[in-house]
Amino acid sequence: MGKRLQSPGWMTIYGFLLPGIVLYLFVVVVPLILSIHFSFFRWSGGLSKDFIGWDNYSHLMQDGKFWNSFRNNMIITVLSIVGQLGIAFVLAVILQAKWVRLREFHRTVLFLPVVLPAVVVGFIWNLIYSQNYGILNGMLQGLHLGSWIRPWLDDPKIVIYSVTVPIVWQWIGLYLIIFMASIQSIPAEIYESAEIDGATGFRKVVSITLPMMYDTLKVAVMLCIAGNMKIFDNIFVMTGGGPGNSSTVMAQYAYNTSFGKFQLGYGSAISIGMIILSLALILLSRRLMGGRSVEA
Amino acid sequence: MKRKGAAAVQSAANVLVAAFSVLCIFPIVWVMYSSLKDQQAFTLDIVALPTSLHFENYAKAFWDGHLNRYLANSLFVSAVSVVLTILIGFVTGYFLSRFSFRGRNVLYTMFLFGMLVPVYGLLVPLFIEYRNLHLLDHRLSLVLPDVAFALPLVIFLIESFLKSVPIEMEEAAYVDGANLGSTLARIVLPMCRPVLSTCIIISFLNIWNEFPFALVLINSQNLKTVPVGLTNFVGQYTVNYPQLMAGITVSILPVIIVYLCLYKRVIQGMVAGAVKG
Repeated sequence: MGKRLQSPGWMTIYGFLLPGIVLYLFVVVVPLILSIHFSFFRWSGGLSKDFIGWDNYSHLMQDGKFWNSFRNNMIITVLSIVGQLGIAFVLAVILQAKWVRLREFHRTVLFLPVVLPAVVVGFIWNLIYSQNYGILNGMLQGLHLGSWIRPWLDDPKIVIYSVTVPIVWQWIGLYLIIFMASIQSIPAEIYESAEIDGATGFRKVVSITLPMMYDTLKVAVMLCIAGNMKIFDNIFVMTGGGPGNSSTVMAQYAYNTSFGKFQLGYGSAISIGMIILSLALILLSRRLMGGRSVEA
Repeated sequence: MKRKGAAAVQSAANVLVAAFSVLCIFPIVWVMYSSLKDQQAFTLDIVALPTSLHFENYAKAFWDGHLNRYLANSLFVSAVSVVLTILIGFVTGYFLSRFSFRGRNVLYTMFLFGMLVPVYGLLVPLFIEYRNLHLLDHRLSLVLPDVAFALPLVIFLIESFLKSVPIEMEEAAYVDGANLGSTLARIVLPMCRPVLSTCIIISFLNIWNEFPFALVLINSQNLKTVPVGLTNFVGQYTVNYPQLMAGITVSILPVIIVYLCLYKRVIQGMVAGAVKG
């Protein structure tokens, strides 16, 4: 932190800080408190608002749909950790090699989906998955794999995987860049001495790159968990959580309950449940992987 | 012999990376060039390049699909929100990094918590709060949440940037009798220019792409922003794919242009933001 300027007095300081604090209270803190308050009521938005104590929460604990949506979040998270981080790692290792062509181009292109609106990513993948005019089915047909064609977004058994692919697709670039930065910071001497000892490419990756990147990998896993707890936009436009509840995630379930059925009390309880579960998972992953020791 | 093996591995790796790049870019490019076909040409061959260019898809997307209005709304909301985000974020970041005062750590934690809390949990209560205060469905409705959610990242980027800037310049200014406001505007702000441009780009992208709050807080057609407007548009043209693709292209073009012009800054800022959270 180092040196600090002499304080101009707390009145002045808080005068300057006021807009940010007020805004933040209004948009984040007050709604959070309101949400806790509403979660103890049965309320459909009208005048009648019945205090029902912990009923919403005991209902939530036994609500199969809620736990199913949490499960879907978890499935997406696990698949993303494996898919995004795995692919990003392999690509980062390759892109770091001296002999790779068009490095800057690949980096730029692979990162591009990260900046797109998640809604648009959903629409683009709707087109890709489309029954008659999608590129996916078109490609399968072209490869004489017509029997592999599925109703990608309409089959309850596979839809959760179908909606995960665009999420993996969109975010590989972010982890790629994080991993590349981390690989660059590994001192070249370590590789050189390993080469003298006769280590080959693959061996170097497993016994040097991977362990040296351990801290970065931890951060990436945490990011992945935090990011996938708040998945909503692309699934909303791709399936709306359907068919049935087969691709419903927590945010979607809170949305449906609050704005579809207008159960605002129960919707608030779901929101609180979702925040608690997400924060618990984020904190748990931090704890398990050794806390906030890592700063990039 | 060994040489040959290594060369094979290298070309395989080059091909693999190229394949992933194509996988990333092709869907976007496909949408863009298909948007210039007519329905018939598209259904005939979905991947072929257009033989004749149908710009009327764009005219239709703009005027019949109301994308012109959605774009104008998005531009307005983004411009107002980005300016406010930068102003408030800059001042807040400055005070958090330069002064120690009572409540500093509480504030710091509060803003940090804002980066962790899944904003979707605030959807329902913020809607209720807005409804009770009659703030729904206004030209400026989205500005408050947009600014509030973009704020933490800007604050932390500025705060950590200022840590690396010596305070002597400001001290000298104060000694010369300059007041806080003019020191901020004339000395600190120009020093922060590089980090501020990163902040502007990242907050613009996040605000432009914001979907759930725009979905819930805005109801009238006239005020919708691009991501939500696009869902309406798609609902209207479910059968006409090229038409749909024209709409999609229009709505991502601003983002793609910003990215291609400034990709180094974008990448650096987004990675810093992600890792900080």
